[in-house]
Amino acid sequence: MEEDGALIINEKSNYKKMEGDSMKENGKCKTGIDELDRKLDGGIPKGNAVLMVGSSGSGKTTLCMQYLINGAEMGERGVFFTITEPLFKLTKNIENFGFYKKKYVEDGLVNIIDLRIISERLGLNSEKYNVEDASALLEVLKDIADELEVKRLVIDSITALCYRLQSDEMIRDFIFKLGSSLAGMGCTTILTSEIPPTKPGELKYSKYGIEEFIADGIIFLGDVNRRGDIIRTLQIIKMRGTSHSRTKSAMNISSKNGIELTPLLKSGE
Amino acid sequence: MILITNTLIDGLKERIANAVSTNQSTGIIIPSNNYSDLICSLFEYMDTKPDAIWVYLTITKPFESLFDDYSNLINNQNIIFIDCISHAAGISKEKSNCIYIESPSQLESILLEIMNSYKNTDDKKNKYLIIDSLSSLVIYNDAPLVTEFFTHLINRTRLSDITTISLTIEEELNDNIRKILYLKSDKIIKLKESFI
Repeated sequence: MEEDGALIINEKSNYKKMEGDSMKENGKCKTGIDELDRKLDGGIPKGNAVLMVGSSGSGKTTLCMQYLINGAEMGERGVFFTITEPLFKLTKNIENFGFYKKKYVEDGLVNIIDLRIISERLGLNSEKYNVEDASALLEVLKDIADELEVKRLVIDSITALCYRLQSDEMIRDFIFKLGSSLAGMGCTTILTSEIPPTKPGELKYSKYGIEEFIADGIIFLGDVNRRGDIIRTLQIIKMRGTSHSRTKSAMNISSKNGIELTPLLKSGE
Repeated sequence: MILITNTLIDGLKERIANAVSTNQSTGIIIPSNNYSDLICSLFEYMDTKPDAIWVYLTITKPFESLFDDYSNLINNQNIIFIDCISHAAGISKEKSNCIYIESPSQLESILLEIMNSYKNTDDKKNKYLIIDSLSSLVIYNDAPLVTEFFTHLINRTRLSDITTISLTIEEELNDNIRKILYLKSDKIIKLKESFI
Protein backbone atom coordinates (compact mmCIF):
# COMPACT_ATOMS: atom_id res chain seq x y z
CA MET A 1 0.00 0.00 0.00
CA GLU A 2 1.34 3.40 -0.84
CA GLU A 3 -0.28 6.61 0.24
CA ASP A 4 0.78 10.16 -0.44
CA GLY A 5 4.26 8.92 -1.17
CA ALA A 6 4.82 8.86 2.56
CA LEU A 7 3.88 5.47 3.86
CA ILE A 8 4.80 2.23 2.20
CA ILE A 9 3.52 -0.95 3.71
CA ASN A 10 3.68 -3.83 1.35
CA GLU A 11 1.08 -6.50 1.31
CA LYS A 12 2.40 -9.84 2.36
CA SER A 13 4.12 -11.26 -0.62
CA ASN A 14 3.46 -14.53 -2.33
CA TYR A 15 6.72 -15.81 -0.99
CA LYS A 16 6.18 -18.98 0.93
CA LYS A 17 6.80 -18.48 4.59
CA MET A 18 10.44 -19.30 4.85
CA GLU A 19 12.15 -20.14 8.04
CA GLY A 20 15.03 -17.95 7.05
CA ASP A 21 18.39 -19.32 6.08
CA SER A 22 20.24 -17.16 8.54
CA MET A 23 18.39 -18.58 11.53
CA LYS A 24 19.06 -22.19 10.76
CA GLU A 25 22.61 -22.03 12.01
CA ASN A 26 23.08 -21.90 15.78
CA GLY A 27 20.38 -19.31 16.49
CA LYS A 28 22.27 -16.48 14.81
CA CYS A 29 20.85 -13.84 12.52
CA LYS A 30 23.45 -13.23 9.83
CA THR A 31 23.87 -9.62 8.83
CA GLY A 32 25.11 -10.81 5.44
CA ILE A 33 28.16 -8.56 5.78
CA ASP A 34 30.81 -11.29 5.89
CA GLU A 35 33.41 -9.58 8.01
CA LEU A 36 30.80 -8.36 10.52
CA ASP A 37 29.35 -11.86 10.82
CA ARG A 38 32.84 -13.21 11.44
CA LYS A 39 33.34 -10.64 14.19
CA LEU A 40 30.01 -11.73 15.68
CA ASP A 41 30.96 -15.41 15.56
CA GLY A 42 28.29 -16.07 12.95
CA GLY A 43 25.83 -13.23 13.40
CA ILE A 44 23.64 -11.39 15.90
CA PRO A 45 21.97 -13.78 18.37
CA LYS A 46 18.39 -14.24 17.24
CA GLY A 47 15.96 -11.96 19.10
CA ASN A 48 18.61 -9.52 20.31
CA ALA A 49 17.93 -5.79 20.28
CA VAL A 50 21.11 -4.07 19.13
CA LEU A 51 21.99 -0.40 19.40
CA MET A 52 23.79 0.87 16.29
CA VAL A 53 25.57 3.94 17.56
CA GLY A 54 27.17 6.70 15.54
CA SER A 55 27.28 10.35 14.71
CA SER A 56 25.90 11.90 11.57
CA GLY A 57 27.30 10.30 8.39
CA SER A 58 28.78 7.32 10.18
CA GLY A 59 26.85 4.80 8.03
CA LYS A 60 24.11 3.66 10.43
CA THR A 61 21.24 3.85 7.95
CA THR A 62 23.20 2.20 5.14
CA LEU A 63 24.31 -0.64 7.38
CA CYS A 64 20.76 -1.20 8.64
CA MET A 65 19.31 -1.17 5.15
CA GLN A 66 21.93 -3.63 3.98
CA TYR A 67 21.05 -5.85 6.96
CA LEU A 68 17.43 -5.91 5.79
CA ILE A 69 18.20 -6.44 2.10
CA ASN A 70 20.66 -9.24 2.94
CA GLY A 71 17.97 -10.75 5.17
CA ALA A 72 15.51 -10.66 2.29
CA GLU A 73 18.12 -12.41 0.19
CA MET A 74 18.05 -15.19 2.82
CA GLY A 75 14.25 -15.29 2.77
CA GLU A 76 13.64 -13.24 5.92
CA ARG A 77 11.10 -10.46 5.91
CA GLY A 78 12.12 -7.18 7.49
CA VAL A 79 10.74 -3.77 8.32
CA PHE A 80 12.47 -0.40 8.49
CA PHE A 81 10.79 2.31 10.56
CA THR A 82 12.15 5.73 9.72
CA ILE A 83 11.63 8.79 11.87
CA THR A 84 14.52 10.97 10.84
CA GLU A 85 14.36 10.87 7.07
CA PRO A 86 11.44 11.21 4.66
CA LEU A 87 10.75 8.01 2.71
CA PHE A 88 11.46 9.46 -0.72
CA LYS A 89 14.90 10.65 0.41
CA LEU A 90 15.70 7.37 2.11
CA THR A 91 14.78 5.25 -0.92
CA LYS A 92 16.51 7.65 -3.31
CA ASN A 93 19.76 7.40 -1.34
CA ILE A 94 19.62 3.67 -0.96
CA GLU A 95 18.87 3.05 -4.66
CA ASN A 96 22.43 4.08 -5.47
CA PHE A 97 23.90 1.05 -3.72
CA GLY A 98 24.68 -2.15 -5.55
CA PHE A 99 23.18 -4.26 -2.75
CA TYR A 100 19.74 -2.60 -3.09
CA LYS A 101 17.20 -4.74 -4.89
CA LYS A 102 13.93 -2.99 -5.57
CA LYS A 103 12.08 -6.27 -6.02
CA TYR A 104 12.43 -7.04 -2.31
CA VAL A 105 10.56 -3.84 -1.50
CA GLU A 106 7.98 -4.51 -4.20
CA ASP A 107 7.52 -8.10 -3.07
CA GLY A 108 7.12 -7.13 0.58
CA LEU A 109 10.28 -8.76 1.89
CA VAL A 110 11.55 -5.35 2.88
CA ASN A 111 8.98 -2.91 4.21
CA ILE A 112 9.75 0.75 4.76
CA ILE A 113 7.43 2.68 7.01
CA ASP A 114 7.41 6.32 8.03
CA LEU A 115 6.77 6.27 11.76
CA ARG A 116 5.72 9.90 11.80
CA ILE A 117 2.75 9.05 9.58
CA ILE A 118 1.76 6.28 11.97
CA SER A 119 1.98 8.67 14.89
CA GLU A 120 -0.19 11.12 13.02
CA ARG A 121 -2.79 8.49 12.28
CA LEU A 122 -2.83 7.45 15.90
CA GLY A 123 -3.49 11.08 16.74
CA LEU A 124 -0.36 11.34 18.86
CA ASN A 125 1.18 14.63 19.80
CA SER A 126 4.07 15.08 17.40
CA GLU A 127 6.36 16.59 20.02
CA LYS A 128 5.85 14.69 23.27
CA TYR A 129 4.23 11.32 24.05
CA ASN A 130 2.51 10.58 27.32
CA VAL A 131 2.36 7.04 28.74
CA GLU A 132 -0.79 6.21 26.78
CA ASP A 133 0.70 7.51 23.53
CA ALA A 134 3.85 5.47 24.03
CA SER A 135 1.80 2.41 24.81
CA ALA A 136 -0.35 2.87 21.70
CA LEU A 137 2.73 3.28 19.51
CA LEU A 138 4.33 0.20 21.01
CA GLU A 139 1.23 -1.84 20.26
CA VAL A 140 1.21 -0.66 16.65
CA LEU A 141 4.87 -1.54 16.19
CA LYS A 142 4.28 -4.99 17.64
CA ASP A 143 1.17 -5.48 15.50
CA ILE A 144 2.99 -4.53 12.32
CA ALA A 145 5.90 -6.83 13.16
CA ASP A 146 3.47 -9.63 13.95
CA GLU A 147 1.23 -9.04 10.95
CA LEU A 148 4.13 -8.94 8.51
CA GLU A 149 5.87 -11.85 10.30
CA VAL A 150 9.15 -9.96 10.20
CA LYS A 151 12.38 -11.51 11.42
CA ARG A 152 14.35 -8.27 11.18
CA LEU A 153 13.30 -4.86 12.38
CA VAL A 154 15.06 -1.50 12.33
CA ILE A 155 14.07 1.74 14.02
CA ASP A 156 15.99 4.73 12.65
CA SER A 157 16.41 6.34 15.07
CA ILE A 158 15.57 5.36 18.64
CA THR A 159 17.07 8.71 19.70
CA ALA A 160 14.36 10.61 17.81
CA LEU A 161 11.74 8.36 19.40
CA CYS A 162 13.20 8.75 22.90
CA TYR A 163 13.14 12.52 22.42
CA ARG A 164 9.34 12.29 22.38
CA LEU A 165 9.18 10.23 25.57
CA GLN A 166 8.96 12.40 28.63
CA SER A 167 11.03 10.61 31.24
CA ASP A 168 13.89 8.16 31.68
CA GLU A 169 11.40 5.62 33.04
CA MET A 170 9.31 5.88 29.88
CA ILE A 171 12.36 5.39 27.69
CA ARG A 172 13.47 2.39 29.73
CA ASP A 173 9.99 0.89 29.70
CA PHE A 174 9.45 1.48 25.98
CA ILE A 175 12.73 -0.07 24.84
CA PHE A 176 12.47 -2.98 27.26
CA LYS A 177 8.90 -3.85 26.20
CA LEU A 178 9.67 -3.41 22.52
CA GLY A 179 12.78 -5.59 22.77
CA SER A 180 11.03 -8.35 24.74
CA SER A 181 7.98 -8.50 22.48
CA LEU A 182 10.06 -8.64 19.32
CA ALA A 183 12.40 -11.22 20.82
CA GLY A 184 9.32 -13.33 21.57
CA MET A 185 8.51 -13.22 17.86
CA GLY A 186 12.04 -14.30 16.98
CA CYS A 187 12.69 -10.88 15.51
CA THR A 188 16.19 -9.39 15.65
CA THR A 189 16.08 -5.64 16.08
CA ILE A 190 18.51 -2.84 15.34
CA LEU A 191 17.89 0.54 16.94
CA THR A 192 20.04 3.35 15.63
CA SER A 193 21.38 5.79 18.20
CA GLU A 194 22.57 9.24 17.21
CA ILE A 195 25.37 10.70 19.25
CA PRO A 196 27.59 13.71 18.65
CA PRO A 197 31.24 12.92 17.77
CA THR A 198 32.90 11.63 20.95
CA LYS A 199 36.16 12.69 22.49
CA PRO A 200 38.84 10.03 23.03
CA GLY A 201 38.06 8.01 26.15
CA GLU A 202 34.46 9.19 26.30
CA LEU A 203 32.18 6.22 26.88
CA LYS A 204 28.62 7.08 26.03
CA TYR A 205 26.72 5.23 23.38
CA SER A 206 23.31 6.88 23.60
CA LYS A 207 21.95 10.36 24.03
CA TYR A 208 19.85 9.57 27.07
CA GLY A 209 22.30 7.12 28.63
CA ILE A 210 19.58 4.52 29.11
CA GLU A 211 19.30 2.86 25.70
CA GLU A 212 22.77 1.36 25.94
CA PHE A 213 22.00 -0.50 29.18
CA ILE A 214 18.77 -2.04 27.93
CA ALA A 215 20.07 -3.10 24.53
CA ASP A 216 21.51 -6.62 24.17
CA GLY A 217 24.26 -5.36 21.95
CA ILE A 218 26.11 -2.21 20.97
CA ILE A 219 27.85 -1.68 17.65
CA PHE A 220 29.76 1.58 17.58
CA LEU A 221 30.44 3.41 14.34
CA GLY A 222 33.16 5.97 14.87
CA ASP A 223 36.04 7.47 12.98
CA VAL A 224 39.74 8.15 13.23
CA ASN A 225 41.49 11.14 11.83
CA ARG A 226 44.55 10.43 9.73
CA ARG A 227 46.41 13.50 8.54
CA GLY A 228 43.10 15.29 8.19
CA ASP A 229 41.34 12.43 6.40
CA ILE A 230 38.54 10.68 8.25
CA ILE A 231 38.55 6.88 8.31
CA ARG A 232 35.22 5.31 9.32
CA THR A 233 35.45 2.61 11.99
CA LEU A 234 33.23 -0.13 13.42
CA GLN A 235 33.61 -1.79 16.80
CA ILE A 236 31.38 -4.24 18.65
CA ILE A 237 31.18 -3.01 22.23
CA LYS A 238 28.86 -5.68 23.59
CA MET A 239 26.72 -8.50 22.30
CA ARG A 240 24.88 -10.71 24.71
CA GLY A 241 24.65 -14.38 23.82
CA THR A 242 27.74 -14.72 21.69
CA SER A 243 31.48 -14.33 21.80
CA HIS A 244 32.59 -11.48 19.59
CA SER A 245 35.57 -9.48 18.47
CA ARG A 246 36.26 -6.19 20.22
CA THR A 247 38.87 -4.97 17.77
CA LYS A 248 38.27 -1.87 15.72
CA SER A 249 37.75 -2.29 11.98
CA ALA A 250 38.01 0.29 9.25
CA MET A 251 34.67 0.60 7.50
CA ASN A 252 34.29 1.50 3.88
CA ILE A 253 30.99 2.41 2.24
CA SER A 254 31.14 1.72 -1.46
CA SER A 255 28.30 2.15 -3.90
CA LYS A 256 29.10 -1.27 -5.34
CA ASN A 257 29.35 -3.38 -2.20
CA GLY A 258 27.84 -1.21 0.54
CA ILE A 259 29.52 -1.80 3.89
CA GLU A 260 32.97 -3.37 3.78
CA LEU A 261 35.20 -3.99 6.79
CA THR A 262 38.91 -4.58 7.11
CA PRO A 263 41.20 -4.48 10.16
CA LEU A 264 42.11 -0.93 11.13
CA LEU A 265 45.82 -0.17 10.92
CA LYS A 266 46.73 0.63 14.48
CA SER A 267 49.86 2.67 13.92
CA GLY A 268 47.67 5.52 12.72
CA GLU A 269 45.63 5.84 15.92
CA MET B 1 55.33 8.50 -24.93
CA ILE B 2 58.55 7.23 -23.35
CA LEU B 3 60.98 5.37 -25.61
CA ILE B 4 63.80 3.25 -24.23
CA THR B 5 66.25 1.05 -26.06
CA ASN B 6 65.31 -2.59 -26.22
CA THR B 7 68.49 -4.05 -24.73
CA LEU B 8 67.94 -2.26 -21.44
CA ILE B 9 64.36 -3.37 -21.24
CA ASP B 10 65.17 -6.96 -22.14
CA GLY B 11 67.76 -7.21 -19.39
CA LEU B 12 65.36 -5.89 -16.79
CA LYS B 13 62.50 -8.00 -18.05
CA GLU B 14 64.59 -11.12 -17.74
CA ARG B 15 65.58 -10.34 -14.17
CA ILE B 16 61.96 -9.70 -13.23
CA ALA B 17 60.78 -12.88 -14.96
CA ASN B 18 63.40 -14.97 -13.15
CA ALA B 19 62.55 -13.51 -9.78
CA VAL B 20 58.80 -13.78 -10.17
CA SER B 21 58.88 -17.35 -11.45
CA THR B 22 60.25 -18.68 -8.18
CA ASN B 23 59.27 -16.11 -5.54
CA GLN B 24 55.88 -15.02 -4.32
CA SER B 25 57.03 -11.63 -3.09
CA THR B 26 59.70 -9.70 -4.98
CA GLY B 27 61.00 -6.30 -3.90
CA ILE B 28 62.69 -4.04 -6.44
CA ILE B 29 64.85 -1.10 -5.40
CA ILE B 30 65.52 1.27 -8.26
CA PRO B 31 67.19 4.68 -8.67
CA SER B 32 64.67 7.32 -9.74
CA ASN B 33 66.58 7.91 -12.98
CA ASN B 34 65.70 4.43 -14.12
CA TYR B 35 62.10 4.38 -13.01
CA SER B 36 60.80 4.63 -16.58
CA ASP B 37 63.02 1.75 -17.74
CA LEU B 38 61.61 -0.45 -15.04
CA ILE B 39 58.00 0.45 -15.77
CA CYS B 40 58.53 -0.32 -19.47
CA SER B 41 60.04 -3.68 -18.55
CA LEU B 42 57.15 -4.45 -16.24
CA PHE B 43 54.51 -3.66 -18.84
CA GLU B 44 56.37 -5.72 -21.40
CA TYR B 45 56.59 -8.57 -18.94
CA MET B 46 52.87 -8.26 -18.18
CA ASP B 47 52.18 -8.50 -21.88
CA THR B 48 53.87 -11.90 -21.98
CA LYS B 49 51.25 -13.19 -19.53
CA PRO B 50 47.92 -12.20 -21.03
CA ASP B 51 46.05 -14.97 -19.24
CA ALA B 52 47.06 -13.78 -15.79
CA ILE B 53 45.15 -11.32 -13.64
CA TRP B 54 47.19 -8.19 -12.95
CA VAL B 55 46.44 -5.49 -10.44
CA TYR B 56 48.58 -2.37 -10.73
CA LEU B 57 48.55 -0.06 -7.72
CA THR B 58 49.82 3.39 -8.66
CA ILE B 59 50.92 5.86 -6.02
CA THR B 60 53.73 7.40 -8.05
CA LYS B 61 51.89 8.64 -11.15
CA PRO B 62 48.22 9.38 -11.81
CA PHE B 63 46.71 6.63 -13.95
CA GLU B 64 46.05 8.97 -16.84
CA SER B 65 49.65 10.03 -17.04
CA LEU B 66 50.81 6.41 -16.73
CA PHE B 67 48.43 5.46 -19.50
CA ASP B 68 49.60 8.29 -21.76
CA ASP B 69 53.27 7.45 -21.21
CA TYR B 70 52.96 3.72 -21.80
CA SER B 71 49.82 3.44 -23.92
CA ASN B 72 51.62 1.26 -26.47
CA LEU B 73 52.50 -1.23 -23.73
CA ILE B 74 49.33 -1.36 -21.69
CA ASN B 75 47.00 -4.17 -22.55
CA ASN B 76 43.77 -3.06 -20.92
CA GLN B 77 42.15 -6.41 -21.00
CA ASN B 78 44.01 -8.08 -18.17
CA ILE B 79 45.15 -5.20 -15.96
CA ILE B 80 43.11 -3.60 -13.20
CA PHE B 81 44.57 -0.24 -12.20
CA ILE B 82 44.09 1.27 -8.75
CA ASP B 83 44.96 4.96 -8.68
CA CYS B 84 45.60 6.32 -5.18
CA ILE B 85 46.69 9.85 -6.01
CA SER B 86 44.54 11.44 -8.71
CA HIS B 87 41.61 12.30 -6.45
CA ALA B 88 43.89 13.59 -3.69
CA ALA B 89 45.61 15.79 -6.26
CA GLY B 90 42.27 17.20 -7.39
CA ILE B 91 42.29 15.41 -10.75
CA SER B 92 38.66 14.66 -11.39
CA LYS B 93 39.02 13.01 -14.79
CA GLU B 94 38.17 9.32 -14.45
CA LYS B 95 38.68 6.41 -16.77
CA SER B 96 36.51 3.35 -16.68
CA ASN B 97 39.29 0.79 -16.45
CA CYS B 98 40.66 2.23 -13.23
CA ILE B 99 39.54 2.21 -9.60
CA TYR B 100 40.15 5.51 -7.83
CA ILE B 101 40.97 5.77 -4.13
CA GLU B 102 40.07 9.04 -2.46
CA SER B 103 43.43 9.53 -0.79
CA PRO B 104 46.70 7.58 -0.41
CA SER B 105 46.20 7.87 3.35
CA GLN B 106 43.11 5.64 3.09
CA LEU B 107 45.30 2.57 3.39
CA GLU B 108 42.48 0.29 4.51
CA SER B 109 40.46 1.24 1.41
CA ILE B 110 43.49 0.41 -0.71
CA LEU B 111 43.71 -3.02 0.95
CA LEU B 112 40.01 -3.62 0.34
CA GLU B 113 40.12 -2.57 -3.30
CA ILE B 114 43.18 -4.72 -4.00
CA MET B 115 41.56 -7.82 -2.54
CA ASN B 116 38.18 -7.00 -4.15
CA SER B 117 39.88 -6.84 -7.53
CA TYR B 118 40.64 -10.56 -7.40
CA LYS B 119 37.15 -11.50 -6.27
CA ASN B 120 35.06 -13.37 -8.82
CA THR B 121 38.11 -14.05 -10.97
CA ASP B 122 39.09 -17.45 -12.29
CA ASP B 123 40.89 -19.33 -9.50
CA LYS B 124 42.99 -21.19 -12.02
CA LYS B 125 44.54 -18.01 -13.39
CA ASN B 126 47.81 -16.68 -12.01
CA LYS B 127 47.37 -13.50 -10.00
CA TYR B 128 49.88 -10.68 -9.74
CA LEU B 129 50.05 -7.41 -7.86
CA ILE B 130 52.39 -4.53 -8.67
CA ILE B 131 52.90 -1.86 -6.02
CA ASP B 132 54.24 1.33 -7.61
CA SER B 133 55.66 2.29 -5.24
CA LEU B 134 55.91 1.42 -1.58
CA SER B 135 58.27 4.32 -0.93
CA SER B 136 55.77 6.81 -2.43
CA LEU B 137 53.25 5.81 0.22
CA VAL B 138 55.56 7.32 2.84
CA ILE B 139 55.03 10.75 1.29
CA TYR B 140 51.40 10.56 2.41
CA ASN B 141 51.62 8.36 5.51
CA ASP B 142 53.83 7.87 8.53
CA ALA B 143 56.42 5.16 7.95
CA PRO B 144 55.18 2.82 10.77
CA LEU B 145 51.72 2.89 9.21
CA VAL B 146 53.10 1.98 5.79
CA THR B 147 55.06 -0.82 7.44
CA GLU B 148 51.88 -2.17 9.02
CA PHE B 149 49.98 -1.81 5.75
CA PHE B 150 52.64 -3.69 3.80
CA THR B 151 52.74 -6.45 6.41
CA HIS B 152 48.96 -6.94 6.19
CA LEU B 153 49.06 -6.78 2.41
CA ILE B 154 51.80 -9.35 1.94
CA ASN B 155 50.19 -11.69 4.49
CA ARG B 156 46.92 -11.51 2.60
CA THR B 157 48.40 -11.86 -0.87
CA ARG B 158 50.41 -14.90 0.25
CA LEU B 159 47.24 -16.56 1.54
CA SER B 160 45.44 -15.78 -1.70
CA ASP B 161 48.34 -17.05 -3.82
CA ILE B 162 48.99 -13.65 -5.37
CA THR B 163 52.49 -12.89 -6.60
CA THR B 164 53.60 -9.44 -5.50
CA ILE B 165 56.14 -7.12 -7.08
CA SER B 166 56.88 -4.17 -4.80
CA LEU B 167 58.77 -1.25 -6.26
CA THR B 168 60.68 1.22 -4.14
CA ILE B 169 62.53 4.26 -5.36
CA GLU B 170 65.97 4.34 -3.83
CA GLU B 171 65.95 8.08 -3.08
CA GLU B 172 62.67 7.81 -1.19
CA LEU B 173 63.71 4.78 0.83
CA ASN B 174 64.00 5.18 4.60
CA ASP B 175 65.10 2.64 7.20
CA ASN B 176 61.58 1.52 8.13
CA ILE B 177 60.61 0.78 4.55
CA ARG B 178 63.93 -0.86 3.74
CA LYS B 179 63.59 -3.18 6.73
CA ILE B 180 60.03 -4.23 5.97
CA LEU B 181 60.80 -4.67 2.27
CA TYR B 182 63.66 -7.03 3.09
CA LEU B 183 61.60 -8.81 5.73
CA LYS B 184 58.52 -9.46 3.62
CA SER B 185 60.17 -10.10 0.25
CA ASP B 186 61.44 -13.51 -0.82
CA LYS B 187 63.76 -11.87 -3.29
CA ILE B 188 65.17 -8.37 -3.60
CA ILE B 189 66.34 -6.98 -6.93
CA LYS B 190 68.51 -3.95 -6.43
CA LEU B 191 69.10 -2.09 -9.65
CA LYS B 192 72.06 0.20 -10.04
CA GLU B 193 72.53 2.79 -12.71
CA SER B 194 75.72 1.01 -13.73
CA PHE B 195 73.79 -2.18 -14.42
CA ILE B 196 71.47 -0.37 -16.79
